[in-house]
Amino acid sequence: MINHESATARTIKFVFLGLWLVITLFPLYWIVITSFKEAGAIFSYPLTYWPTTFSIDNYVELFAKADFGVYLGNSILVSTVAASVSTLIAMLSAYVLARFSFRSKGAILMAFLATQMIPAFIALGPLYLLMVNLGLVDNKIGLMLIYIAVCIPFSTVMLRGFFANVPDALEEAAMIDGLSRLGALFRVLVPVMKPGIVAAFIFNFVNCWNELFLSVTLMNRDENKTIPTALNGFISSFNIDWSSMSAAAVLTIVPTMVLFAFASRYIVQGLTAGAVKG
Amino acid sequence: MRTTKFGIAGIALTAALALTACAGGEPDNGTVKLQMVESLTNPARTDVIRGLLDDFEAENPGITVELVSPPTDQADQKIQQMLQSGTGIDVLEVRDITVGPFSTNGWLYDMTDDLQGWSGWDDLTDNAISQTTYAEDGKTYSIPYGFYGLSLFYRTDLVEEAGFDAAPTSWDDLLEQASAIQDPEKNRFGYAFRGGSNANSNVVAIITSYAADKINVDNAFELTGGGTVFSTPEAAAAVKTYFEIFKKASPPSSVAWGYPEMVEGFSNGSTAFLLQDPEVIAAIQQSSSLTEEQWSTAPLLVGASGKAAQPVSSGGWGIAKATKHPEESLKLIKFLSEGDAPITFAKENSLVPILKSAADDEFYKVGAWESYLYMTEHPDVYIPVTQPRTVSWWTEWAQKADTEIQQVLIGKMTEAEMLASWDQYWTEKWATK
Amino acid sequence: MGNEVALRRGDSASPRRRVFSGRHGWTIAAFLAPAAVFVGLFIYYPMISGSQMAFRNWNLNNLTDTSWVGFKNFQAIFENPDFGTILSNSIVWVVASIVPQFLIGFAIALWLRRKFRFRGLYQALIFFPWAISGFLIGILFRWMFNSEFGVINDLLSKVGLIDQPIPWLADPSTAMVAVIVANVWYGVTFFTIMILAALQSVPDEMYEAAALDGSSKPRMLFSITIPTIRTTLALTVLLRVIWIFNFPDIIYAMTGGGPANQTQIFTTWMVTTTQRGDYGQASAIGLLVIGVLFVFAAFYLLAMREKKEVQS
Repeated sequence: MINHESATARTIKFVFLGLWLVITLFPLYWIVITSFKEAGAIFSYPLTYWPTTFSIDNYVELFAKADFGVYLGNSILVSTVAASVSTLIAMLSAYVLARFSFRSKGAILMAFLATQMIPAFIALGPLYLLMVNLGLVDNKIGLMLIYIAVCIPFSTVMLRGFFANVPDALEEAAMIDGLSRLGALFRVLVPVMKPGIVAAFIFNFVNCWNELFLSVTLMNRDENKTIPTALNGFISSFNIDWSSMSAAAVLTIVPTMVLFAFASRYIVQGLTAGAVKG
Repeated sequence: MRTTKFGIAGIALTAALALTACAGGEPDNGTVKLQMVESLTNPARTDVIRGLLDDFEAENPGITVELVSPPTDQADQKIQQMLQSGTGIDVLEVRDITVGPFSTNGWLYDMTDDLQGWSGWDDLTDNAISQTTYAEDGKTYSIPYGFYGLSLFYRTDLVEEAGFDAAPTSWDDLLEQASAIQDPEKNRFGYAFRGGSNANSNVVAIITSYAADKINVDNAFELTGGGTVFSTPEAAAAVKTYFEIFKKASPPSSVAWGYPEMVEGFSNGSTAFLLQDPEVIAAIQQSSSLTEEQWSTAPLLVGASGKAAQPVSSGGWGIAKATKHPEESLKLIKFLSEGDAPITFAKENSLVPILKSAADDEFYKVGAWESYLYMTEHPDVYIPVTQPRTVSWWTEWAQKADTEIQQVLIGKMTEAEMLASWDQYWTEKWATK
Repeated sequence: MGNEVALRRGDSASPRRRVFSGRHGWTIAAFLAPAAVFVGLFIYYPMISGSQMAFRNWNLNNLTDTSWVGFKNFQAIFENPDFGTILSNSIVWVVASIVPQFLIGFAIALWLRRKFRFRGLYQALIFFPWAISGFLIGILFRWMFNSEFGVINDLLSKVGLIDQPIPWLADPSTAMVAVIVANVWYGVTFFTIMILAALQSVPDEMYEAAALDGSSKPRMLFSITIPTIRTTLALTVLLRVIWIFNFPDIIYAMTGGGPANQTQIFTTWMVTTTQRGDYGQASAIGLLVIGVLFVFAAFYLLAMREKKEVQS
């Protein structure tokens, strides 16, 4: 291995990484601190960087006053299902787009890519009517279906890039050994592509997790609302309820951070040297 | 292969669930379920409405009401979508700025005939009664739930410290006092200026006050003799004073301030004056930076005319035309507009109530509400005027005006150019109508 | 090896092994079908059905007359006196956001490749901006950039960099800086994750061999790392350009496009146009955005492809 990193290079690296960590975390710190401040203390001047008393009232209220637990559960359910199903479907489409050459391939790819350019509001009216006709307004399954559709194009384009990095000799060998194409895809390719698949899943999950526009439009009852709706509920046209909102924001971030912590192991897991030689 | 099967099963399951979901419908056990949508949502307000609805349900065993409370920023778009699709709304919040578009599109149920002989009429204030009629076609699409109105929130201690013995009563007083208090070094500012979203509201308030003798009270943008208020020398004088207040007595960043920043600037103790709706009372009462003795309210500022034009703005409850339950919906509207319900709603949301009986209510006689009472008792000085907020182009106007105000603030446009542009805008709109 | 960039039509150039040659029409169709159903039904159908608004007099304030007006809505966009400002703002917004995002994201990914103590924790922590919605980031930064009560001015003055508070969002010359800072803060994570994931496909042996040849580190970066993950890099940049161009949330929440349109980009313009009810014109802006991005994507992919052909 090339293990002779110079002292200067190391210093630069860690100074930079440290600096970026501080920059990244500061807003988080600010939200967390705000969420523990007592009502009213948020507006005191000069700014306090460390509250004298920690209060968990904001959190208690979230669960007592708003159905925050329900929203949290809905978001976890909708995002997990949508991200899993869309990643799975995208793996299939990405696979053929990476491996086969056929006439309409360019057009299909461009069609996937073009979905990323469409502003949601253009499609909103007809989409809403479609959901009304399907009886899927104010229904978690309806929201999942749309989220799956929204996530597929990006994950297809992205996974195709990762498939392209993996030599096709791998699944050829597996198929010659008697595996079906699907078998080769899931048994041989998926393990090798784990970092990319995990990354795709995370992006899908986070996109669903944060989606506001469609969720607000389609969901009516409290029992169906997702977290972004609840977060935006703390902003009235007259005021921003910073106390409740920062507590809600912290709780919103925690699950995704856990996911990141868990997934980042896979993202940097790397490939076994043997699997990659093509 | 397990993964594959699992995946395919997942997709199939999703599809199956989706199909079964289509089959679902309303339970048919004789009860009627109404869906009610609010738009100026905030959690506390939602609780109040829910409480009222619970009372309504208790009184009407055959009816249940489901309250839909979308975040306020996205609410209008959602409501439009629902109204357009003709599903999901029975009762809804209809505000002065949405009644025009909603009724033009035929989305609102006309209650005129149904409300004939309604016992509640006698209890409504004149203001409330006049708001039930939509000026364009004379029909009743909604009954107001309360009124907004401007008063001056001010810091009693800072005013005294600066050597003044009373709150400002005119815009000129405000300029003088705010300039005296302004001290950026100490992070202390005079006036919580509004330069960001809805900046137009306060600019128009000062202009119409300066020209109070000349304007048509039913359309505050129009002069009694025709033409727009923006073409008058009073308007020019008004904006001159107003932008002076920005230059001499406001935080520099207030170019971008909207409602939250203004309220924040006042309630954290850094600015001395704030012109706002009564809703702010509750927010300031919760502030830990200000004690009860440090602030109070004063009536809206008068212009050079010695009078002030108090813009009356309101919201109310209406019924969607597509409703399948007009009768039950009407019951709900009536419930919300008579008896205790409207008073509870107005008090909890700091609104000027719609019922005459509120005039005797102690609640509205003390503290921050005093100045509102004073204004109501002196309608010759604090003239209630109606702005053309119900026209269908109101939001277009608000956007245009806000942008141009910012252009003046950052020196890309002159005051005269701004007024000329507004004059031209309204002249053209009225000509093509 | 399969390093081709997204759109290579009929790449018969690379020799195909047996399992990929011959007729696979049914396999291809079957694998693409689920994606096609979802995307077709829930994205393309409503989008195409909705685009007609752009060619009609479609104003929510008055839907009694929704007649076809041809390209009138597009004409109105181009004739808007602010069009030039909005165009240049959009370009500045994209370029000034993406360059720092790319450089910082790439650097962090490279540095994270090598194991060090607490690397896992570090990673989880710096990934977190991506977990927050754009809208929330917008209102959070709006408060942090507030000139009187904002924490940024407070910190800057504590460090002694400024002696007077800067009215970040009120001053036309700093408003764009502020929104871009927020966007860079948010977007670095995407590059880091993508590049980090892609770097896993670069076998260590390649570096070892290069080290034996006496290659310097920067040389390895340009001769091994970048060429190997080109596909991912190119794709990531392309996706980010599309997304940033299409991303009104942060600007909308921080400045609403102000002061006086100084931070207005196409998509925030579309949002404000929607709010005043003119769906016809807003859709026209939307279609214009799609058109611009489509052309950009096509040229970008073409350029990438040619570059590759020159190299190989």
